[in-house]
Amino acid sequence: MMTQITKRNANKFLKDEYDDLVKNHLEWNIRVLESGSKPHSIVNGKEVIMMCSNNYLNLSNHPRLIKGSIEAAKKYGAGSGSVRGIAGTLQIHTEVEKRLARFKRTESALVYQTGFAANAGLIPQLVGDGDIVISDKLNHGSIIDGVRLSKAERAVYEHRDMSDLEKVLKDADKKYRRILIITDGVFSMDGDIAPMDKIVKLANEYGAMTYVDDAHGEGVIGPDGRGIGAHFHIEGKIDVEMGTFSKAFGVVGGLIAGSQDLVNFAYNKSRTWLLSGSHPPAVSGAQLAAIDVLETEPEHVKRLWDNTKYFKNELKSLGFNTGESETPITPVIVGEPGKAKELSNRLYDEGVFALPIVFPMVARDKARIRTMMNAGLTQKDLDFALDKFEKLGKQLSII
Amino acid sequence: MTVQIGFLVNPIAGMGGRVGLKGTDGVLKKAVMLGAKPIAPQKAEEMLREFCVISTNHRDLQWITCGGDMGNSELESVGIKNKQVVYSPSENTTSTDDTKNACKKFLEHHIDLLVFCGGDGTTRDIFTIVDKKIPLLGIPAGVKMHSGIFGINTTAAAKMLHEFINGRLTIGDAEIMDLDEELYRRGEWKVRLFGVAKGIVEPTYIQVGKACFESVSDDEVKDELAEHINDELEKHPEWLFLFCSGGTIDYIAKKLNIQHTLLGIDAIYQKQLIGKDVNEEQILTLLKKYPKTKILLSPIGAQGFILGRGNLQLSPAVINKIGVDNIIVVATPSKLMHTSILRVDTGDKKLDRLFATQGYLMVVIGYRLSRVVNLQTNSF
Repeated sequence: MMTQITKRNANKFLKDEYDDLVKNHLEWNIRVLESGSKPHSIVNGKEVIMMCSNNYLNLSNHPRLIKGSIEAAKKYGAGSGSVRGIAGTLQIHTEVEKRLARFKRTESALVYQTGFAANAGLIPQLVGDGDIVISDKLNHGSIIDGVRLSKAERAVYEHRDMSDLEKVLKDADKKYRRILIITDGVFSMDGDIAPMDKIVKLANEYGAMTYVDDAHGEGVIGPDGRGIGAHFHIEGKIDVEMGTFSKAFGVVGGLIAGSQDLVNFAYNKSRTWLLSGSHPPAVSGAQLAAIDVLETEPEHVKRLWDNTKYFKNELKSLGFNTGESETPITPVIVGEPGKAKELSNRLYDEGVFALPIVFPMVARDKARIRTMMNAGLTQKDLDFALDKFEKLGKQLSII
Repeated sequence: MTVQIGFLVNPIAGMGGRVGLKGTDGVLKKAVMLGAKPIAPQKAEEMLREFCVISTNHRDLQWITCGGDMGNSELESVGIKNKQVVYSPSENTTSTDDTKNACKKFLEHHIDLLVFCGGDGTTRDIFTIVDKKIPLLGIPAGVKMHSGIFGINTTAAAKMLHEFINGRLTIGDAEIMDLDEELYRRGEWKVRLFGVAKGIVEPTYIQVGKACFESVSDDEVKDELAEHINDELEKHPEWLFLFCSGGTIDYIAKKLNIQHTLLGIDAIYQKQLIGKDVNEEQILTLLKKYPKTKILLSPIGAQGFILGRGNLQLSPAVINKIGVDNIIVVATPSKLMHTSILRVDTGDKKLDRLFATQGYLMVVIGYRLSRVVNLQTNSF
């Protein structure tokens, strides 16, 4: 038999690079939920209290959302048949957008396939050659990728530091055509909030555009969970309010809210929006129902905050360091990375699911467990979790 | 695998400080007469003691050192056993020659890192022999520590050593500075870049996934800086660029296929070298021909000086002519971790005030990426 001489092993890197990740403990171990994403979930066969989902309001299990989904599927079918631009815009898509604008109290709104698609599609269109994007140092990865796709220059300012931001603006004012300030609304690692009122004020002074990624604020902060604009009473003053249906709304999909000019510009220019299929009707049906629920059932947001306050206070009185969080994201700072991982593992064994966050996501000595509150958790659930935190915190000499 | 750490103490380093001499190079006798006491052995022991507290596993560590108070007695005093003496000083008084000879022995033993206690003078002696072959970590003991390879104090040095052994720090460039001690003792500053050694640095991290980061080598960051500067050169074909001294700029120039003078300033026009190692006068002549000029600078050494220590060819006259707005400062994020502030001392009060009023500079830290770094003038 003739030996075939190959030039190179084209696929060798796949295994090599994966093995490398495993060796360095950097691979993702996918956990499978046998239940839905519920306050009590079955994760890898074990029932745990869910403290690391983004399903803040537990809307993913809300009967009205499930019903909205089923009815939309019955009426419009399973798929949309096309991209939005050609033949994939169903009436239910436009209805979601109208309702969303009303909810956000902006002139208009646009739904993207995902939050990532919104950032990656829109940011590179807003700024290009000769422009600058000014970005908070701790912004989320999808913003960073969106910025990378643009030909604009980038400058970072220290986390929530307005004097640093003003320095960059002063410098940028002289040199660039357009200036875009971009920030997370709620920062996902620490749960702190961007000072959006001050950012908007500075932006107006220097003629800069503002863009906030409110993924963790949408449905959570502000009156009725209307997000960061409402939180600071500056609805309609932020040029681009970007958010997601995948977290507190309990569904999936990205969104932007702002002026009609913004929306016209965005859907004509965002390649992610133009080149991917539109949401299946079931998704839109659930989105619509989620907005309905937020507008008519204020108890979910209230319960989320009641739970958050209770849990935060109890953790603090147990002696845990919970950082600077102002939101339902509560970090439990334990110090050493090894300790955070150990605490997370033992919590899981005891029936509480919360993941560790370690260097380089946070400073070396600030390793933590990040807990995310859920409106569906009962007082009994929280006491159960607190009891475990207390027991293990003492065992590991954290408190 | 065993990590081999070279350990060297220059016992006379730092003796000039307490008696008002700036450095012991060439004036040891005077220092001793003035009552100077050895400092370096004590500093070295302090660092070792702190290292032993934070680092408990010494099994995989082998110390390679020199006899007497050039290393062995300090290791002994903190109870470190796994050591080997590979060089012994010949006389009672150690000297530049002892440092250099010890380094030659270290090279033969293929050590992974050289930890030493001394000042800028000791650093230069070591660098002369080991060049970029061995990464260096300095325990500060001398009077002048302008070089970028020192931990800011003994605690920091102990921590860096521990982190390096555990693979959490990486190897990057660090500048070795040279100060004319004769002039300095007469109250004059004359610092220039002596060379670029290998030091240990905090790696730069980039976010590659939602909650997943990757560390990037120093060279990868510098590749990005080079790409950025390449764009600048292409965008402004009518501009003259002055590439100043320093490791980062040398790397960028090499990447752009420009023969660069590591320790001097070169003039680049349309990516071609048109003036090599130019002095102030030559720069001023060039500026007549090229009214549009940009300066490419990088902070040099441990204190973050961009003007006033090294690059002395950039006189106030030159900077005024080019304009402060036409200065491009580049730096790797790991370097900025060392120097959170940039310093300017042009020798011209009016010009210094201009920098002081602004209070900060935008520094390019990656491809099309910059950040604010605060600026300090005429202070030290």
